[in-house]
Amino acid sequence: MRAIRKYGVLYAMMLPVVIYFIIYGYYPLARGLQISFQDYKLMGERPYIGFANYAAVWHDPFFWKALGNTVVIGGGILVFGFVAPLVIALSLNEVMTAWFKKTAQMLLYIPHLLSWVVIGGMWIFLLSPDTGIVNLVLHKVAGIEPIHFLAESTWARWVMILVSTWKDMGYSCILFLAAIVSINPSLYEAARMDGATRWQLVRFVTLPQLKGTMKVIILLNTLGVLRIFDQVFVLRNPSTSSHVDVLMMYTFQKGIMEMQVGVGAAASFFVLVFTLILTLAVRTLTRFDEVE
Amino acid sequence: MMRHANYGLNAKRMTVFDWLNALFIICLMLTMIIPFLNVISLSLSSGVASMRPDIILFPKEFSLEGYRTIWNSLDLWRPFLNSTIVTVFGTLLHVLLSSLAGYVLIHPRVPGKRLMITFILITMMIPQEAVLIPLYVVNKDFHLINTLTVLVLSGLVSGFSILLMRNFFMSIPYEISESAKIDGAGDFWIFAAIYMRLATAGLATVTLFEFVGRWNMFTAPLIFINDSSKYTLQVALKAMIIDSSTSSSNYLITTNVKMAGIMIAILPLIVIYPFVQRFFMKGIMLGATKE
Repeated sequence: MRAIRKYGVLYAMMLPVVIYFIIYGYYPLARGLQISFQDYKLMGERPYIGFANYAAVWHDPFFWKALGNTVVIGGGILVFGFVAPLVIALSLNEVMTAWFKKTAQMLLYIPHLLSWVVIGGMWIFLLSPDTGIVNLVLHKVAGIEPIHFLAESTWARWVMILVSTWKDMGYSCILFLAAIVSINPSLYEAARMDGATRWQLVRFVTLPQLKGTMKVIILLNTLGVLRIFDQVFVLRNPSTSSHVDVLMMYTFQKGIMEMQVGVGAAASFFVLVFTLILTLAVRTLTRFDEVE
Repeated sequence: MMRHANYGLNAKRMTVFDWLNALFIICLMLTMIIPFLNVISLSLSSGVASMRPDIILFPKEFSLEGYRTIWNSLDLWRPFLNSTIVTVFGTLLHVLLSSLAGYVLIHPRVPGKRLMITFILITMMIPQEAVLIPLYVVNKDFHLINTLTVLVLSGLVSGFSILLMRNFFMSIPYEISESAKIDGAGDFWIFAAIYMRLATAGLATVTLFEFVGRWNMFTAPLIFINDSSKYTLQVALKAMIIDSSTSSSNYLITTNVKMAGIMIAILPLIVIYPFVQRFFMKGIMLGATKE
């Protein structure tokens, strides 16, 4: 009681946040779990049907197709979204002209700030077969016939992966650069005393010192894999949907478009479980919690 | 100091590697510059010129007709207004609530502090996507579907912002708060008059993060809004410029109009970009190391 009187104002300051998290954080989670066991209709009776919704998802070939697409596209984004910024950061670090380095950093970061509608809208146009600049340039330079990048399923997946890498590489690049700057200079000093070349400095000093940052970036990006949605929603079209529709797209279609709310909720919980498994796997593989 | 930055090599002598490296970076920069230049030029071209298969890096037949059409004839001003309302109110409330909670968590002796932190950390582990469908149901129960309120409410508080604000508040010496308390100041006053003023950099960081996030918000309006008069800019643009190119609508929207729409959505973000430069980097580092 004394605590409440003494810290009453503080508790009052915390209250709105607590209420918000209960209503919009915890309650929907519980509600979702409940719905996933119900034959949920917007009106009338909502009988409990056990695991029927989960079974429906489990036996739906589209769900597994969506999982496969998520693995391919998400995996691609994970690999490219890790390698590209690392290479760029190392390359920028070799640049000795400060303004050039700064300008490059600033430019590379811009797409990360923009929404997927903007980025997607831009690239749909840039990649269009008749008037898109990519095909026009390809035709002029190499005489290649127009490619329907967004209509051919193999290309469409690559477009998802590469546009995503293009959009977000500036962000991870900044993390890498900041980590490189904070490496103890005496390590380079010592290596140079031993006659290390520029490449050897990168290979034996910079890269090992970046291990911690690499882990953070891998973990953050892994969490993003199962969340891919906006970009697919914007860049998909009927001719490629079966090759690019990811898990969140499946959930959205079931729960919101087809109004099979129970099935959609069950699918969400599959995604939640996959996220947990993936996070645990990455944490174990990278030995994230290991104290260095 | 300069020696460390370039590994002690002579900065004046450019090796073959340096030239190739510079070339690589220039190419990368071009992959950023050319698409944007293309979009800007098209938005400033005439309708006919923008539909021709030309490589356009400068406006052809300069005209503002694209902007005029999308703003007036296609009524883009309304979604723009909706987005502005949601972004401004949502950001202000988000910053205020996150700061309040962040301030509470800097006090070492508040009973239940551990519990509060755990409570917040758990919300950070629930992926928003996993509760998308239940959120729809919950908002429907509250009769919030098709209102701008639901867009202000979604993501109104985040554990990330709370912890970020807490970190900024922690950098202010705690003695200030203690001595103010001895002088008889209440916690709320200390928060408002001292902490909010001293943590300007933190406020700016969270405000910018939230501003960008809300302006770009897409999933929430897509799911919670069906009424086109409540559309936000992102959803309206998706319908105008993307759906119209795949479906055969009887009304042809020319390329310059579409690109003008994209430019209008980018504009507010370009205006704040200089501030982003100043505060984002710090915020990104704080966020990444604390997660």
